[in-house]
Amino acid sequence: MSRACHFFFGAVFRARFGVTVDGIVTITHAFDQKTLPFRTHCTIAGTQCLVSTNSYDVLTATTQLQAFSANHHLPSFEMQILVDGALDALPEHSAYFRGRRHLVFALLPPRSFVAYDLLRKRVHAALPLAAAGDRTFWHSLLLPITIGVLGTVVGVAPLHCACLEHHGNGVLLAGVSGAGKSTLATALGRLGWALLSDDWTYVSERQSRLIAYGLSSPVKLLPDAVRFFTDLATLTPRPSLNGELAYEFDPHRSMQIAMKDISYPRYIFFLERTFAPGCYMVPCRHEYVREFFRKNTERLPDELVGATSFREKIVEMLSACRSWILRTGESPSRTAEAVAEFLQEDRHARA
Amino acid sequence: MPERKVAAYVDPLDLLRRFVPTPLKAVYQFGAVRVVVQTNDFSLLPTASSAASLPGSSERDFEWVLVRDAEATGSLQPPILLTSGKLTVVEMGSACLLGVDQEQRELLAFIGSDVHARTHQEFLVPFLCRLTKESVLSDPFTHLERSREEYCR
Repeated sequence: MSRACHFFFGAVFRARFGVTVDGIVTITHAFDQKTLPFRTHCTIAGTQCLVSTNSYDVLTATTQLQAFSANHHLPSFEMQILVDGALDALPEHSAYFRGRRHLVFALLPPRSFVAYDLLRKRVHAALPLAAAGDRTFWHSLLLPITIGVLGTVVGVAPLHCACLEHHGNGVLLAGVSGAGKSTLATALGRLGWALLSDDWTYVSERQSRLIAYGLSSPVKLLPDAVRFFTDLATLTPRPSLNGELAYEFDPHRSMQIAMKDISYPRYIFFLERTFAPGCYMVPCRHEYVREFFRKNTERLPDELVGATSFREKIVEMLSACRSWILRTGESPSRTAEAVAEFLQEDRHARA
Repeated sequence: MPERKVAAYVDPLDLLRRFVPTPLKAVYQFGAVRVVVQTNDFSLLPTASSAASLPGSSERDFEWVLVRDAEATGSLQPPILLTSGKLTVVEMGSACLLGVDQEQRELLAFIGSDVHARTHQEFLVPFLCRLTKESVLSDPFTHLERSREEYCR
């Protein structure tokens, strides 16, 4: 599918100021209906995506996602994915992300290049064969990064929160990096709560209600978490996308934690670690919730006016959830039990 | 041209480095195209004579934003171009990622710290000129304008 395009080769190009360029061989991919003949529709975190590709592996990967009827809905965005075996032979690079205005570029291992056009709501990707059919690549990298980058322009706000569900109620666990969100989410999962996400949750609005989506991504825990979850001892920590050494595992397969894709958030806990023993829930004012999410969300460029106002609307809806600051000096399992008891008492009190 | 170090940019809420300041600005005339270049690194400004004295803005203006990325290391890799409609994106490893938006008339590029000024001037600048020229030439508005000019002549 690739062709070596002798972009400047042979035909020497002279810039106006006299510099000569020659001998550059480039791989060029023109994305159109001829090069990407296969089409399918799928749902990713509640958004509807039209996928165009030249690869059966990509079709297979997207058919594992929930389909939507193209007859009744317009796609929220398009993904144009070209798979090229020539990319497999090129040297590997580490993950790298940069953006400016409406364009975002991502280099992902193995040897994948993805460009996001936030104005036109399009994703252009050149993937090697090694990535196209790899479930881990799709669920750990491509899908979360795509919704993370594109979400606010297609009606899904990515929030740096864990999300679980218990008795039909969605519970968001927020907190600064390193507060222990993933560890507490895992501990709650082991108590029988269903897990949507341990790290990034994608929040939208449906019929004036908040709705949260997870992408079945692996859970990431730092190596010291083996103190609390001995099952991790059978796994090997590996460098994760940000370079940290971490355990990354499928929570259902490794710990029999139930997984869910969708929930309706009603409660938010802002996790704070303390050295003092005990576990305390301090009710939050609406202003605290608003300020927390405003201060901890990615800056968006001025060009994406609708995205900023959409996210502000979601933050406003989040501020109406019942919220507490959770200060804990206890172990993850003790903290999880305390949260479960607290919410049970709260439900009884309100009943 | 002397190499200049660009200070590392840190903003935990701007992981994509969208808001790296690009305070240096110059205007160039490349053929029929007037290019306004913005950058954070003096050595990324093309060494052609600038056309800052040209009055006003023209319909053919094009904007380049060239960001020197202090955190991106490694040398330029063979370019891979993806073109789709009005957008062309190019990857040369993390040493250079760029996008040309024909409709927005802008070229955005991140250039790694290991790309020397000479490599930039002798290879990247002509490459950017070429991409800009092709983008402008394929713009139907420009074709229309050129036809009108030729007719008037």
